[in-house]
Amino acid sequence: MANGASIIIGLVVVVIACVAGWFFAPKGETQTIWRSSLILSFASCYLMWAITFLAQWHPLIVPRRGGLREFAVDE
Amino acid sequence: MAPAQDTMFRSADMSLVQLYVAKEIGREVVNALGELGQVQFRDLNSDVTAFQRTFTQEIRRLDNVERQLRYFHTQMEKAGINLRKIDLDVDTLAAPSASEIDELSDRSQSLEQRVSSLNDSYETLKKREVELIEWRCVLREAGQFFDRAHGNVEEIRASTEDDDAPLLQDIEQHATGQNGDAERSFSVMNIGFVAGVIPRDRVAAFERILWRTLRGNLYMNQSEIQEELIDPTNNEPIKKNVFLIFAHGKELIAKIRKISESLGADLYSVDENSDLRRDQIHEVNTRLGDLGSVLKNTKTTLDAELTQIAQSLAAWMVLVKKEKAAYQTLNLFSYDQARKTLIAEAWCPTNSLPAIKATLHDVNNQAGLSVPSIINEIRTNKTPPTYQKTNRFTEGFQTIINAYGTAKYQEVNPGLPTIVTFPFLFAVMFGDFGHGFLMVVAAVAMIYWEKKLKKVRDELFVMAFYGRYIMLMMGIFSMYTGLIYNDVFSKSLSLFPSAWKWVKPEGWVEGQTLVAQLNPDTPGYRYPFGLDWMWHGTENDLLFSNSYKMKLSILMGWAHMTYSLCLSYINARHFKTPIDIWGNFVPGMIFFQSIFGYLVFTIVYKWVVDWNAIGESPPGLLNMLIYMFLSPGTIEEPLYRGQGPIQVFLVLLAVIQVPVLLFLKPLYLRWEHNRARAKGYRGLGETSRVSALDGDDDDSNTLDGRNSLASDGEGVAMITQDIGGDEEHEEFEFSEVMIHQVIHTIEFCLNCVSHTASYLRLWALSLAHQQLSVVLWTMTLANGLSTTGPLGVFMIVVTFYMWFFLTIAVLVVMEGTSAMLHSLRLHWVEAMSKHFMGDGIPFEPFSFKQMLEEDEAAADIS
Repeated sequence: MANGASIIIGLVVVVIACVAGWFFAPKGETQTIWRSSLILSFASCYLMWAITFLAQWHPLIVPRRGGLREFAVDE
Repeated sequence: MAPAQDTMFRSADMSLVQLYVAKEIGREVVNALGELGQVQFRDLNSDVTAFQRTFTQEIRRLDNVERQLRYFHTQMEKAGINLRKIDLDVDTLAAPSASEIDELSDRSQSLEQRVSSLNDSYETLKKREVELIEWRCVLREAGQFFDRAHGNVEEIRASTEDDDAPLLQDIEQHATGQNGDAERSFSVMNIGFVAGVIPRDRVAAFERILWRTLRGNLYMNQSEIQEELIDPTNNEPIKKNVFLIFAHGKELIAKIRKISESLGADLYSVDENSDLRRDQIHEVNTRLGDLGSVLKNTKTTLDAELTQIAQSLAAWMVLVKKEKAAYQTLNLFSYDQARKTLIAEAWCPTNSLPAIKATLHDVNNQAGLSVPSIINEIRTNKTPPTYQKTNRFTEGFQTIINAYGTAKYQEVNPGLPTIVTFPFLFAVMFGDFGHGFLMVVAAVAMIYWEKKLKKVRDELFVMAFYGRYIMLMMGIFSMYTGLIYNDVFSKSLSLFPSAWKWVKPEGWVEGQTLVAQLNPDTPGYRYPFGLDWMWHGTENDLLFSNSYKMKLSILMGWAHMTYSLCLSYINARHFKTPIDIWGNFVPGMIFFQSIFGYLVFTIVYKWVVDWNAIGESPPGLLNMLIYMFLSPGTIEEPLYRGQGPIQVFLVLLAVIQVPVLLFLKPLYLRWEHNRARAKGYRGLGETSRVSALDGDDDDSNTLDGRNSLASDGEGVAMITQDIGGDEEHEEFEFSEVMIHQVIHTIEFCLNCVSHTASYLRLWALSLAHQQLSVVLWTMTLANGLSTTGPLGVFMIVVTFYMWFFLTIAVLVVMEGTSAMLHSLRLHWVEAMSKHFMGDGIPFEPFSFKQMLEEDEAAADIS
């Protein structure tokens, strides 16, 4: 779970969601608004998540912390 | 072909139509169209002054009625009667018929007379009442004085004969004097007196003047009136004193009278005989009683009248406003005297044409007129107004765009993507689950109680209320980005197991710094959603999040700008100007991508490579980008193999685009223009303009689609169509095009750099927001939580409230506003500069609903 392949899996999921958003958008006057908003939202949310995931994929620095108690360390 | 459905993507198709309406039903037609609210009439009488127009007389009459209604309103406010408000959303007052308006105007005329006469008599009566009250006071005060004085006439007499003796010495001591002399009058002693009432603030001046003019030869007695008197002219309470002045001789008395009258005192006759005085008081009291009942009656009648008016005043006001607007619109029409026909030109959405036709038909049928109203679409080279259909949800977002400029007719409307990009970019700066949640709650509350809150008139609240759907979207996306940043009121959520594990070295004591490592038990596992919570509170937390957020900003900015740039391609496709694709879009896109697209690629590539595994040191991307231009081809820290040549190639590619951007479009336009000239063509506008001015060119009339009206009425139609039509066509000027393109090129290339940098505000604001909420937590709630004992309970309560209210005021409201402004700027400047032309004219249909919403006075009555 949640390794490098997640990026691709996430992309596939989002593309499917976008396609679904395109076809299942409510008909009528607001269809364009639904389609555009759904697809843009999916795309931006994916972008944000993917960037965050990528930034932590191969970390160049590691967390350093003082003042931890014993139980918090072992958790 | 049926016209496509109007969407928000671009302006609705607009048509210019000509209406021929019989004068008798002109008013009804305009009223019906005003209810429909889909038609924008053009002014066909722009050269005629407001006073010379056809329906000025009617408008004046309605102005008068409106004034009378306002007069009733002020009278009601004076009398404290509330008028029955109407809900404009519920009561759709149908447009009145002409006879109703006449009736209304007659009625308000007579009501005005009645109300004003009632008012006058009420004021006169009130004045009389005040006078009587004053007289009564004078009688009472003077009476008391006389009763006291009569007791010691002798002494007074003695004192008047002895120059040194003061007047009325020791009255108090001799209060029980010789009663036998009581009936002896002052007149015997040749002492006259003046009694009256004077405003209290003038008493001092009055005394001084009297003393000086009479050289002290007077005796003045005064006392304050306890009851408050009302000045009937302005309904304000006024305080007054009763005075009684004694002096020798008629001349002095006359002088005193004059002085008192000039100082605004009211004089009243008082008899010194106590019996007569008693009668006078008695009479005054009776008259006051009578007056009181008359006053009460008048007041009741007036109030009843006003209350009755209050029932329907709001509706009348709306009716009169509608009627006035209708006549003002009719004044825009051109009137054909000979044939009693009104001719109007109007813009309307093409899709609304059937509805408009149906409306006209209905009005015609109702009026039972044999002459049909004609609606006729005309072809024109005028720019139609831009009409972006909005609903409750999209209205706010469209306003954001319209505040910057009105989109050119039929260009891509940036309002559509703004629905998502605006709140999303806001959320990148405002990312906190808790703060986003508060915002959603506020927005949902406003949406839930929409109907009630619509009536609130507070200016700040109206602004927030107008943007309630924007707030909703901003809140939702802030909750999402808050989860990504793993911030909930500056704390973190540990939803998933962390990818990190603390390494405990030998002999570690609590408090010493620890270093984490990727958990060896779960190799390859990374925190699946958002930032790993193990980063929270670490020493190098900022080091990591700054690098992450900076890159995030650049990536987001790149995506947003690329998206916006693509919209310019759609525009060029729609307007069928391929040169804009090849001369602007393609070179611009290549320029942008070969520099910043490449930067984005390197950022992602650097993340993807596991630098520890391959045992190389990761290069700094900023230096790489700088040296890509300063010394192309030389790579100090390689990112990947073959990097040097690729970067040289990209720089060359970008540089080549500059001359393409500069020259391709102007040169192409010149070539096209010259070719057309060489073939003997002229601009379409030039020809049609000439023929319209000549007015006798039948061939061009058929072109204009007006052949169905081929009659001697052409002249009027010709003229009406040509008004204001001569500013549309422009001559081709190469130098102008070239200058424009040079400016565009320089702007575009420089802006690629500065706009990308500008997106770093996403990082800066998000950092500031996060740090501020950490500081707020540590300074308030953290203190409260660390205090123990009974004091701790108290502290938690106090610090919680402090924390909560500061969170709302500073972090949600203030920080939210600032993030919103930055997001606004990113849309107006960074995104819209890539595609927005924005030289459109807004579509302002004649609509009663909109007119009443915008009317300030109408706000009072609904």
